[in-house]
Amino acid sequence: MNFRVQAALTAVALLAGASLSQPALADGDVVCGSGPQAEWRSERDVRRRAFQEGWEILRIQIQGDCYEVYARNEMGQAIEAFFHPETLEKLVVFRRGREIYRREGFTG
Amino acid sequence: MSLLRILLWILLAIPAALMVRALASGETLAMDLYHPTGELALRLMLLAMMIGPLLDIFRSNRFLRGWLAIRRNLGVAAFAYVALHLVIYVIDMRSLAAMLDEISLPSIWTGWLSFALMLAAASISNDWAIRRLGRTWKQIQQGAYAAFLLGAIHWWLLDRDPVPPLIHLAPLLVLWSLRWLFIRHRRKNLKEYAV
Repeated sequence: MNFRVQAALTAVALLAGASLSQPALADGDVVCGSGPQAEWRSERDVRRRAFQEGWEILRIQIQGDCYEVYARNEMGQAIEAFFHPETLEKLVVFRRGREIYRREGFTG
Repeated sequence: MSLLRILLWILLAIPAALMVRALASGETLAMDLYHPTGELALRLMLLAMMIGPLLDIFRSNRFLRGWLAIRRNLGVAAFAYVALHLVIYVIDMRSLAAMLDEISLPSIWTGWLSFALMLAAASISNDWAIRRLGRTWKQIQQGAYAAFLLGAIHWWLLDRDPVPPLIHLAPLLVLWSLRWLFIRHRRKNLKEYAV
């Protein structure tokens, strides 16, 4: 097998591998350590909880085992906050990928 | 402009049309379009950048020549999606003050810098500028590589996950490595023939 063919096959194999490995859907995973979803508080409760922070809520979604809230805080900053689905505790908040809040002792 | 090139532009414009329609109808929020616009821009840049090493590695054929012929279109289209990405950002942020407030964050200024480099490259992507600028033209175009890398870093910092941006860098790294191996191999062969 000549070198050109080898190179071609390697390239094809690597490109195929790269395209098959499906990119994870955003966000370095935050792990909230919650139980089964049946035990979770409702999205409405999360909305109320985030509203109490004084935020303008853009979106609430489930991310892994967390509730993730996209919002603007009282300073108008774009933030992403993770809440524990059972206790509705605010665990960690990111602003454009930079961590700006973490509950004491939370390591997930 | 040939019919094929018009078709190519229509093809390249379809995702943008769908995104703008979804936004205008209120079906999606501006923030939902960050990923589609940014990722498409990176993929188009990747396509424009892959053809160089491919031509160095493989014997030229119709497919590769055709690809090379549309490289500029791919690059300009990539810039168009970067520009759309920025428009989405402006819509999402709503105020200049809010944008300035976060410009010092690494995840944000990497995006701005990438945009500036792309703007420079795209604005000289025409025959007139090639003739006019000579060697400088190539240097400005090469800024697109830095823009590509900065775009990947911007993505990584925002999503706190290096894997998807790395997947987008991988094909180019692979092709560059192969080109290096290939050229080295060819040189060695030449030496052997010489002896």
